[in-house]
Amino acid sequence: MKAIRKKRLTTVLFLLLTSGLGTILIIKALDSNLDFFFTPSEIFAEDLPENKRIKVGGMVLEDSVVRDGTNIVFQITDYEESIEVEFNGIVPDLFKEGSGVVVLGYLFEGSIKAEKVLAKHDENYMPPSLDIEK
Amino acid sequence: MLIQIAHFLAILSTGLFLTTFVFSFLFTKRDKNITRLISRIYSHAFLMLTSSFFIYIWLALNDNFSVLYIAQHSNSQLPSFYKITSIWSAHEGSMYLWIVFLCLWGFLYSSYSPNDNILKARTIGVISLIAVGFLSFLLLTSNPFETILPIAPMDGADINPVLQDPALAIHPPMLYLGYVGFVIAFANAISFLINGDKSIRWEESVRIWSISAWVFLTVGIALGSWWAYYELGWGGYWFWDPVENVALMPWLAATAFIHSLSVSSKSQLLRIWTILLSIIVFSLSLFGAFIVRSGIIDSVHSFANDPERGLYLLSFTGILVFSSLILFSYRLPLLASKKLITSFSKESFISINNIIFGTLIFSTMLGILYPLIYEYLYLQKISVGAPYYNAIFVPATILACIFLFFSIDSKWQRTYRIINSYTSMLFSGIFSLAITISVMLYFVISDLWILVSLFTGLLIIIRYLFVIFEFLINKKYSNPYSIAAHIGLGLLIISISLNSQFSSERAINIKINGDDIYKDYRIKFDNLELIKMSNHDSVMASFIIDSPSGKTFVLNPEKRKYFTRGQITTETAIHATPLKDIYVTLGDQLDDGSWIVNIQFNYFIRWIWISALLMAISGSFLAFSLRGTSR
Repeated sequence: MKAIRKKRLTTVLFLLLTSGLGTILIIKALDSNLDFFFTPSEIFAEDLPENKRIKVGGMVLEDSVVRDGTNIVFQITDYEESIEVEFNGIVPDLFKEGSGVVVLGYLFEGSIKAEKVLAKHDENYMPPSLDIEK
Repeated sequence: MLIQIAHFLAILSTGLFLTTFVFSFLFTKRDKNITRLISRIYSHAFLMLTSSFFIYIWLALNDNFSVLYIAQHSNSQLPSFYKITSIWSAHEGSMYLWIVFLCLWGFLYSSYSPNDNILKARTIGVISLIAVGFLSFLLLTSNPFETILPIAPMDGADINPVLQDPALAIHPPMLYLGYVGFVIAFANAISFLINGDKSIRWEESVRIWSISAWVFLTVGIALGSWWAYYELGWGGYWFWDPVENVALMPWLAATAFIHSLSVSSKSQLLRIWTILLSIIVFSLSLFGAFIVRSGIIDSVHSFANDPERGLYLLSFTGILVFSSLILFSYRLPLLASKKLITSFSKESFISINNIIFGTLIFSTMLGILYPLIYEYLYLQKISVGAPYYNAIFVPATILACIFLFFSIDSKWQRTYRIINSYTSMLFSGIFSLAITISVMLYFVISDLWILVSLFTGLLIIIRYLFVIFEFLINKKYSNPYSIAAHIGLGLLIISISLNSQFSSERAINIKINGDDIYKDYRIKFDNLELIKMSNHDSVMASFIIDSPSGKTFVLNPEKRKYFTRGQITTETAIHATPLKDIYVTLGDQLDDGSWIVNIQFNYFIRWIWISALLMAISGSFLAFSLRGTSR
C-alpha cells in the first residue's frame, strides 16, 4: 500500500513539475513575442526602446500623406499627438486620409518604420482607444 | 406567410427536440422500442428544422426583403448562388446553418446506428439538448426570421464583396460540418459515462463519425486558408489570426482524438484519454462559436456582435463543459485501466504525441486569451503574433514528427525493437540528411529551423516510402490510410519550410507601357481597362511577364468598386506553377500617373493545400472503409 502511494506521489510530482516547466517556457515565449499597442500620445508619454516591435493605432492625419514611388510617408494621429510613419509597399484599399489605421513596426529616430499597414475591413472601424473621444 | 411558417417550424422543432431529450432521460429502461421511439421523434424534429431551413433558402432566392436578415445581407442583383450563400455570411444565418448541421449529424446517427445500441437513446438525447440550447439562443437573441414591417425595402443591402467568392461560399459549411460533427463522439461519451458500464465499446462505433468530421474540418480550414491567400492580397496562407486559431484548436484536438480513438477501439487502453479528448474537441468547437460571435477579440473575420449573445453562448457552453467534466471525474475510478501501456508500443508513441498536441492546444489558447488577460491586468493593449506561434509550433511539430518516425513499425501492445527496422530507418536518415545538406549548400540556407524542418519532413516521407516498398516487395501489411495521411504531414512541413525560405516580394512603381525587372522576370505594364460589371466597376491592369526560361504570360490584377456598399476591393492575379506562384496585386495610382504594383514569388504554396487535401482524402477513404462499424 505504502509503495503504491509513494509511486503515485512521484507520478503526480513529476506531472506537476513537467507541466509547470512547460507552462513557464510557453509564457516566456509569449512574453518575448508580444506586440504592444499604443496611440501616438502614449508613444510620446512613454520612453520606448527602438528595437521593440509595436502596433500603433490612430487616424491618418489629413493632408499628411506624401508618396514617393513605392514609399509612403504619413502622420498617424489621435488628435492630440501625431507621429510620422514610413512604409514601403501597397497600403490597404481602406487606407485614406482621415480614416482609421493600425501600423505594425519599429520606432526609429522619432518616426515609425512600418512593416505592415492595416485598415479594418469595416468602414465603421475605429481604433478601440479612440472610441471614447469621438 | 412563408416566413411565419418557417419561424413556426423552427420553434416547433425546438419543442420536439426538448421532448426527445426528456424522453431519452425519462425512460431509463433500455429497450429497443423506446430507442426506436426516441429516434422517430428526433427525426421528426429534424425534418421540421430542415423544412424551415429550406423555406428560408427559398425566401433568400426569391429576394424576400421583408425578412430583415435577408434585406441586410442579400441583394436582387446577386447571382442566385450568392443569394443562397449570403445566408451564412453573417451571424444569424450562419448560426442557423450551424444548428441544422448539428441536427443533421444527429439524424444520420439516429438512422444508421442500430436500435439495440444501449447508448443510442441517451446519445440522441444529449444531441437534442445541445440543439435545444442553440435553437433557443438563435430564436431568442439572434432571430433570423425577424421581419421589416409594414413595408419591405425595395432592395437588399448586399453581401460584403470579399465574401462573393466560391471558396468562401463553401468554406463555412465545410467548417461547420467539421465542428459539429464531433457532437456524435461527445454525446456518445456522455451517454457512456452516464451508463457507467465499462464493457460497452462505444469507441468503435464513433470512429467513422469522428473521422468524417475531421475530414470536413481539414477541408474547411484549407479552403479558408486558400481564400485568404488569393482574396486578401497579403500573399500568406496563415496569419495566426484569433479566428483561424479557434479553428486550429479543434483540429489539433480532433487529430489527437482520432489517434487515441484508434487505440481505444483496438484495446482497452487510453480510454480515459479518449473520453477526455472527445469532451475537449467538442468544447473547443463550441468555444470557437463563442469567440467568433461574442466580439471579445479583434479579427478581420469576426461577425458584428453584441455582448448579450456572448454571455448566452458562454453560459451555455460553460454549463455543458463543466457538467461533462464533473461527470467525467465522477466516473474516473471506474475507467481506470489496470493494464499499463507497454513502453515502445504503438500506444506509447500515440500517448506521447497526444501530450504534444495538448501542449499546442494550450499554447494556442493562451495566445488567444493572453491579450484579454493582459489588458484586464495592466490596462495595456497587446497582440500576439506569428513569432510566438512559430516559437512553439516549429519545435513541437518537429518533436512530434521524430516520435512518429520511430513509431512507424511499432506494434500494438508489444514492445518494439528498433533493430527490426534498423536498415530502413538508417537509410531514411541518410537520404534525408543528404538532400537537406545539398539544398543547404546549393541555395545557401543558414536558418537552422528551416533546415531541421526540411530534414524532418523528408525523414517522414522517405521512411513511409520504405514502408510502401516493403509492402510491394514482401507483401508486409501496412495501413494505407495512415501512410497517405502521414506523407501529407511530411509534405506539409516541407512546403511550409521551403515557402518561408524562398518566398519574396517587392513593390514596384510602374507606368503604363513601362517595364521593370524583378528576379530575372521582366514585367511589362501593357494596358489598363475600365470594365463595367453587373454589380461593380473594375479597373483591370494587364501585365505581360517574361520568365527567364522564355515563357510569356499575362496577369490581370484588378481593383473593384462595388456599387451598393461603395467598397473597394483588390483582386490579385496569380500565375501558378508547381514550383511557385507569381502573385501580383495592384496598388494605388500616384499623381504622376504611375501605379504601385506588388510582385510576390510564393514558393511551394500550392503544396501546402495539396498536403492538407491528401490528409483529407486519406481520412475519407478510411471513413469509407469503416462503414458498417457504426453499431
